[in-house]
Amino acid sequence: MKQGYRWPLVGLHWLTLLLIVVAYVIGSLLEDMTLSPLKLKLYAWHKWLGMLVLFLLPWRLLLRLTDRLDSTAGLFPWEARASAAMHGALYLLLLAAPLLGWLQSSAAGFPVVWFGALPLPDLVEKDRALAEILKGLHAGSVNLLLALVVLHATAALYHQHFRHDGVLARMVPWLRSKP
Amino acid sequence: MKSLVTLLISLTLSLPVSAQDWKLDAGKSQVHFIIKQMNVPTEGGFRRFTARASFDPARPEAGRFRVDVDTASIDTGSAEGDDEVKRPAWFDAKKYPQATFIARSVRREAEGRYTAFGDLGIKGQSHALTAPFTLIRQAGGWRAEGRFPLKRSAYDIGGGDWADVVADGLEVRFSLLLLP
Repeated sequence: MKQGYRWPLVGLHWLTLLLIVVAYVIGSLLEDMTLSPLKLKLYAWHKWLGMLVLFLLPWRLLLRLTDRLDSTAGLFPWEARASAAMHGALYLLLLAAPLLGWLQSSAAGFPVVWFGALPLPDLVEKDRALAEILKGLHAGSVNLLLALVVLHATAALYHQHFRHDGVLARMVPWLRSKP
Repeated sequence: MKSLVTLLISLTLSLPVSAQDWKLDAGKSQVHFIIKQMNVPTEGGFRRFTARASFDPARPEAGRFRVDVDTASIDTGSAEGDDEVKRPAWFDAKKYPQATFIARSVRREAEGRYTAFGDLGIKGQSHALTAPFTLIRQAGGWRAEGRFPLKRSAYDIGGGDWADVVADGLEVRFSLLLLP
C-alpha cells in the first residue's frame, strides 16, 4: 500500500513552508524598518519569494490531484470533511496571500520584477488608496494562512503521536516503514 | 529627480516683436521621471514647478525657455521615499530648493520638433543638457513635451550604498502646457 506522496509533491510542500516562513519574517521586518538600501533589497526578496509560492502552487495542485493516495483512509466522515476543508482553505490562502501582495505592489506603483529579471504585469492601475486596502487584505490573508498552517501541523502531530496512523509519514519520507 | 525642466523662453535678445510670453498651466503639465530600483522601473514626479517661455510660434528656435522645479515637492511614490530623497545625501532640498533648466538655444529639427541646448542646475551644480522636445498646438497655447536621460551621479544625488539598489541613470519626462 502507498504510504506517502511522491517526492516532487513532498519537496514542494516543504519548500512552500520554507518560502512562506522566510517571506513572512522579511515582511514583518519591513513593517518597522526605515527606508534604506537594505530595506529595498528585502522588499524585493519578499516579493520574489511570494511570487515563487504563487507560481509553484499550480504544480503542487496538479501533483496532488493526480496522486492516487487516498488521504481519507482511516478517517471518520467528519474528519474527512474537516481535512478536505482545511486543505482547500490552505490552497486558497496560498493563492490569495501572494496574489494580494502582487495586487498591492501594482496598486502602490512598484511593479514586481521577478528576481530582478522578469517583469510581471501590473494587475491594477496605480492607486494609493487601493494599495492601502490591499495591504490590509494581504496581511490578513497571511495571518490567516499562518494560523491554518499551525492547525494543520497540530493535526499532523496528533495523527502521528495519538492515532499512529502514518498520516504524517505521507509528507515525511523517513517516517515511512521500510518495504 | 531630477529634473526639471522648465522652459522659459525669455525671449529674445534682439528680437522681433512677435515673440510673446507664455504662461504655464501647471495643472495640465507634468515633470516626471522613471528610475529603476532593484531593476524595477518606478515613476515619480514633482508636484510644484514653474515654467516660462517666450517665443514666436513661427520661430520657436529663437526663443528661450526656463523651468524651475521645487525639489521638496518630489513624489517618489511612497512617503518614506519622499522624505529620504529630500535629505542632504540626495537633493538636500532645504539648502537647494530649486532645480533649474535654462535653454540657451533651441534648434529646429523638423516641423514641431526641436532640441533645446541649455544648462540644468541641481544641488549647486550645473551641467550642459540637451533636451529634444515637441511643440504641439493645444488649447490656444502650446504643449512642450520631451524626455532626456540624466545621471544621479553627475549631481551627487544619492550616493553610498544606494548605488546598489537605485540606478544611476534615469529618464526625465516633461509635458508643459504653455498658454498665452
